[in-house]
Amino acid sequence: MTDHLLFSNIDEPGLRTIDVYERRGGYGSLRKALATPREELIETLKGSGLRGRGGAGFPMGLKASFLPKGDMQKYVVVNADESEPGTFKDRELMQKNPHQLIEGIVIAAYAVDATISFIYIRGEYVHQADVLEAAIAEAYERGYLGENVLGSGFTLSLAVHRGAGAYICGEETGLLDSLEGKRGNPRLKPPFPANQGLFQGPTLINNVETLSTLPHIVELGSERYAEIGVQNSAGTKLISVSGQVRNPGNFEIELGMSSREIIFGLAGGTFEGREIKLWFPGGSSSPVLTKDDLDLPYDFDTMAKAGTMLGSGAIIVVDDSTSVVDVALKVATFYAHESCGKCTPCREGTSWTRKMLTRVKDGSATPMDLDIMASVQERIIGNCLCVLGDAMAMPIGSMIAKFRGEFEDHIERVRAEQERAILAGVSG
Amino acid sequence: MPRPIREMVTFTLDGREVTAPESTMLVDAALEYGDVEIPVFCYEPKIGPPVGACRMCLVEIEGVPKLQAGCSVPVKDGMIVHTNTPRVKEAQEGVVEFLLINHPLDCPVCDKGGECPLQDKSFGWGSGISRTVEPKRHFEKPLALSPLIAIDRERCIMCYRCVRFSQEVSEDHQLVLQERGADTFVTTFDGHPYVAPFSGNIIELCPVGALTSRPYRFRARPWDIEQAGSICMLCPAQCNVSFTVRDERVLRVLQRDHEGVDNGWLCDKGRFAYQAIHVDERVTEPLIRDGGTLRAVPWELALETAAAALRRAGGRVAALAGGETTNEEGFLLQSLVRDALGSPDVDSRRGGTLPLELHRALVAPALQASVPDLQYAHAVLVLDTEPVDDIPILDLRIRRGVRHQGVRLFVATSRPSSLDDRARGIVRYAPGAGEAFLAALDAALTGEGDVDALAGAAGADADAVRRLADGLRDAGEEVVVLWGERLTAGPRGADAARALLNVAARLGLAGRDGAGLLEVPSAANGRGLREVGVLPNAGPGLCEPSAEGRDADGIAAAAAAGEIAALYLLHTDPLLDQPSRRAWGAALEKASTVIAHAAFLTEGIAEHATVVFPAESHAEKEGTVVHPDGRVQRLRRAIGRQGDVRGEWQVLAELAARLGADPRVLTASMVSQRLFDAVPFYAGLTLDEIGGRGVRWPEREQAGALPTAALGPFALEAPPAAATANGRLRLGAFRSIWAAPEVAASPALSFLRPLQRAELSPADAERLGLRHGERVVVASNGHSVSALVHLRQAAPEGSVFLESGIAEHSAANLDGPLVEVRRA
Amino acid sequence: MAIDPTDVPRFAHGSRIPGWDESADLEKSPLEVPDPATTHVPDDLRAEIEAHVAKYPPDHSRSATIPALWAIQRRYGWCTPEGIEQAACVLRLTPAELSAVATFYDMLDTSPTERNRVYVCTNISCSLRGADELLETFREHAEGEPDVHVRGFECLGACDIAPMASVNGTYVGPLDADDVPTLLRQLRDGEEPLPEKQLARRPSADPKAREPQS
Ligand SMILES: Cc1cc2nc3c(=O)[nH]c(=O)nc-3n(C[C@H](O)[C@H](O)[C@H](O)COP(=O)(O)O)c2cc1C
Ligand code: SF4
Ligand code: FES
Repeated sequence: MTDHLLFSNIDEPGLRTIDVYERRGGYGSLRKALATPREELIETLKGSGLRGRGGAGFPMGLKASFLPKGDMQKYVVVNADESEPGTFKDRELMQKNPHQLIEGIVIAAYAVDATISFIYIRGEYVHQADVLEAAIAEAYERGYLGENVLGSGFTLSLAVHRGAGAYICGEETGLLDSLEGKRGNPRLKPPFPANQGLFQGPTLINNVETLSTLPHIVELGSERYAEIGVQNSAGTKLISVSGQVRNPGNFEIELGMSSREIIFGLAGGTFEGREIKLWFPGGSSSPVLTKDDLDLPYDFDTMAKAGTMLGSGAIIVVDDSTSVVDVALKVATFYAHESCGKCTPCREGTSWTRKMLTRVKDGSATPMDLDIMASVQERIIGNCLCVLGDAMAMPIGSMIAKFRGEFEDHIERVRAEQERAILAGVSG
Repeated sequence: MPRPIREMVTFTLDGREVTAPESTMLVDAALEYGDVEIPVFCYEPKIGPPVGACRMCLVEIEGVPKLQAGCSVPVKDGMIVHTNTPRVKEAQEGVVEFLLINHPLDCPVCDKGGECPLQDKSFGWGSGISRTVEPKRHFEKPLALSPLIAIDRERCIMCYRCVRFSQEVSEDHQLVLQERGADTFVTTFDGHPYVAPFSGNIIELCPVGALTSRPYRFRARPWDIEQAGSICMLCPAQCNVSFTVRDERVLRVLQRDHEGVDNGWLCDKGRFAYQAIHVDERVTEPLIRDGGTLRAVPWELALETAAAALRRAGGRVAALAGGETTNEEGFLLQSLVRDALGSPDVDSRRGGTLPLELHRALVAPALQASVPDLQYAHAVLVLDTEPVDDIPILDLRIRRGVRHQGVRLFVATSRPSSLDDRARGIVRYAPGAGEAFLAALDAALTGEGDVDALAGAAGADADAVRRLADGLRDAGEEVVVLWGERLTAGPRGADAARALLNVAARLGLAGRDGAGLLEVPSAANGRGLREVGVLPNAGPGLCEPSAEGRDADGIAAAAAAGEIAALYLLHTDPLLDQPSRRAWGAALEKASTVIAHAAFLTEGIAEHATVVFPAESHAEKEGTVVHPDGRVQRLRRAIGRQGDVRGEWQVLAELAARLGADPRVLTASMVSQRLFDAVPFYAGLTLDEIGGRGVRWPEREQAGALPTAALGPFALEAPPAAATANGRLRLGAFRSIWAAPEVAASPALSFLRPLQRAELSPADAERLGLRHGERVVVASNGHSVSALVHLRQAAPEGSVFLESGIAEHSAANLDGPLVEVRRA
Repeated sequence: MAIDPTDVPRFAHGSRIPGWDESADLEKSPLEVPDPATTHVPDDLRAEIEAHVAKYPPDHSRSATIPALWAIQRRYGWCTPEGIEQAACVLRLTPAELSAVATFYDMLDTSPTERNRVYVCTNISCSLRGADELLETFREHAEGEPDVHVRGFECLGACDIAPMASVNGTYVGPLDADDVPTLLRQLRDGEEPLPEKQLARRPSADPKAREPQS
């Protein structure tokens, strides 16, 4: 059984063109899907065990089955916002194998009977958006998109919608508002997008990687796909490894691989003489793990059990040359900057945390501030409109809990340095 | 559209069982049915569905892992809710703490202090201690958001109410949030002020002191004011208001939420024109003309002068009542003129009366739509009226129906409407061609008659008329036609009214719940005045009068011809209110006596009145009025009468007594009682029953006492074709919301006083070689007004629209139907 | 890995946020949806925006808001008030609605900005590999460059080439201090930025992906 599906042939020259993609057997799965009754196709997706690759890990087939049946206009929206720090896998998929994604979109749209689809891509990905647009034009030309796809009677339009720089537009309802031309504020849920999504119509929204997997599931069949990976974490997953490792990049793994093997085996491990201090297993919003956790298998359930999450599959490695204070401040600064401002705990809590951490950094905080900060994280978690607030509060909370000593030492040290400097100034 | 009928469900609230209508939001159900307050900030159902932004209302629901926002969870049977567990308390303390991190806590100098939800909620649900040492944001404050509203951004807690109002209620989309996260702020585009007909509502919506009224700022504190509920009389919408009073002065006007009237909103005229009550220009003592100028005199002299003049006139008297006249005053007026002076000439309409039959038909209970019907109908047709100008608050009601209930809106007007953007279908017809348009619509609905020819006569697009007919038919059974009185003005008014009844008949509106006609009278109490007999051809209760008199146009002509010696003007200046300024100029000139009740010396009064009685403001008045949908509402005195002002009912009664027909009324409520006795369909009403919410008489049993009338369909002759322009333009007149003496007199609002502008289509402008903003002369028959060109893409080719109801360069100076427009 | 308060020009760091201190100009009239009869919109701009509108279902032209703002920014260099009014006129929205959207997004500029935009990623993965120093170097060298706008940016989704930058949308990295003057010169001369360091040309890091499978 291969552990390379999405990334197979990824560097083949010209793979992004429809000719090469077709030569590699591309769009074969679509033909197969179009010949399958919708309900059966959804069963296949359910049976595959595929969980969403965007961060929340919700079973893809189940979500597709939530869309109501009937004549109403339905939509498929592809989440290509990829803004979670440390995550860059969708970028490579779109840039190098756009037709794999398009094929997945058409399969998904056919399955839920949607006739209009959009790819919402972050505005920073200019090149990737251009590649997608070219590929979409090719797909229209060959009849994979547009009216009467491959003579099946099924119709689908697909367009690229470029964002303009806002992390919150990766949150699915913020994305929908943004796609509707509004500020990208998340919406109250319920109603969920499956019932009332884009333009109030039932909408299936999935991550790029999730949808790029569909052609492979259709090709292999649900059983064979489900055999890849481990219990509750079927299939292969793209992992973006970055930070203080020798060989950062995207790797396709079979879920359940040991974390150590990913970080050391694939990404080349830490630099000479360095040890891992902490690592984020699923983007900067996942609670941090330490070097003691390196032997954990990398899958959804294990990560959850370890008190963190697999998230988007972005591992960020921080070695012992870096202060945890800096890491925490970076994280808080990012989320404070990206909070949309709609709900109170997130808007105020993220910026307050950032301010407190700034004081920790410059030594003007006290250990009591660390307690306040920890309690502020508690007051954010679970109380916001969407989970952006949690995305800061969870890792910050975990850092304070796991590295409290280092925070306190830092405050001490900076204080002492400042005192020395003042004394030096007085005496000199 | 059927209004939701809701079953009752039972849920558990803090260990007690509470029963509430299904799908009520938890916070409402808890408060109304369980007497438990769950604190809220962003939740305001008047605005629209909940947004769940502030997170103040978090509660614990068994079986749901996360705390839930009670503002957005509908109650369900068997639900178990906790609002006071340690977890909930911790979360609520958290939200209060977060909200106060950046809030300046400058309560001692804040207008909102003492009536501030943030204060109350911090006290009730906050921890009382601050853990933050971070400096708070500091900004310049307060800043002007508009001439009426100040904004203090430090105080804002980002509840979104104000911007949601602008986006979702008034739909003016001028007030927005900019930037993101903690930097987000409320603002407008590029420094433009937030000026819109309903802008003032955001002051009341703001749960903190971030948005304050500039006219009210620092005038009072909550503990030295009183609230007095009454009715706004500045337009037919008759919104329910509450006057904030301090030392017998009105300092502020707030909404007094009435679902059947205003939904808790006010327009800026109603909200800010209270200033006109206390300005120096207001007439507060009786005046008589003495050697060309009006001079203050004692009441006795004024009354005797008036009585003597009326006596002298010997029956050659005519009276007009304007919109602010109450039912009681109108009743006494017609009685004075008819019984004491023996003249049949009284009117309250603009541009002529209708046959009595039609007056009765148009108020027939079977045909009356109510205000909420606008919100729940399948379709609404806005016909020959611009709600935002003529009855502003209904503009919001229509928008709400379209936005939240999916009401299909159609607009048929001459002038482009601000509702066009929300309409499924629009028909434009030539100014004054309402009758022909309705005939065309009738033909399209029945399939009989020549739609093309009739639409052609109306200057309308026949296909648009057909689409409208289809649209109305397809929408569903409940159709509400909101139509403007001006449709039935003028010599062919009766034909237009019959054409309207025909359309109502084709649509089957009579007797259908949720459907019907809703007239927008041209004056605030227009409907009431007709019902109490201020019509030349109807007495109280729309009964037949002993003699039929002349209508307003007839009175003007007769007065100009010297047939009328004395004119009695109750709250009206015909130069501003009547369609032809010149006819009335001549009439006033010729009449030897002009007696007026007026609050301001507008042109006609200042130049022609011989006796002026100071008029009460609506905050000083007592009595009743009738809302356009038949709701009898009650005015209550909020403040003592200013200066030497007397109750006008007293003045009218006193004059009648002096003229030998003492109505024998000693108190205001006695007048009301006499009125209820005199109008059969009001029979049995009492002021107590009317109370603060009003009573819709068409829904009462006594409504059957209205004499019946044929409701159509009628066989009609072909309507005349609208004038063809050949080089000239058709003149359309409109009266903006701001064209009112109270607006001009209120310092805070005077910046909104309209200046004449000529609205033109780009095609006409090009043909005439005119540019936007250029000064032009609009002329007909040797008369002209000056205006600035205002291009509008949506303006129909061939017409020009001018403002009436303004002091200078009013459209009423011109005769129409065709005018010439040329560069000044 | 210090935090530079001026790093991200969204002003999250200080308490003085542009706009917060601004009063409305009471001399101006309120701004509603611009009337096509009185708003000049260049034909090609109108056509461009209308082409975007056509990508969305009928009645949902509002979806073209971000594309229209991009069109304005390309044309005028930033989202100018005039440009916003023009777009608002085509989309039948108020300019306020467009400004609410424009200011929400980091890449849309609502104040005058140099045309060449260099976004240096300073988020965690890049800063673990020297991004903050790199940004400093950029700032120093770009001082006085007339047409270059350098700013720190949140994670650009290219942590594999950390530290990196987006140069007018082209991703380049890993960058070192020496690349900075080269890059600025290339911008001045209108050349492609650092061709050999462009992400678009980079093979995958996954060893197995690199060997073509059958
Ligand atoms: C703050 C926030 C940011 C997110 N950003 C992304 C993102 O950039 N890309 C993505 O695919 N999902 C993102 N998500 C997850 C989406 O909300 C959603 O779960 C996902 O698009 C569903 O697709 P999937 O089921 O295929 O994973 C984000 C969620 C949150 C709360
Ligand atoms: S100004 Fe007032 S109403 Fe508007 S968001 Fe702020 S607190 Fe809410
Ligand atoms: S009142 Fe419920 S979230 Fe604001």
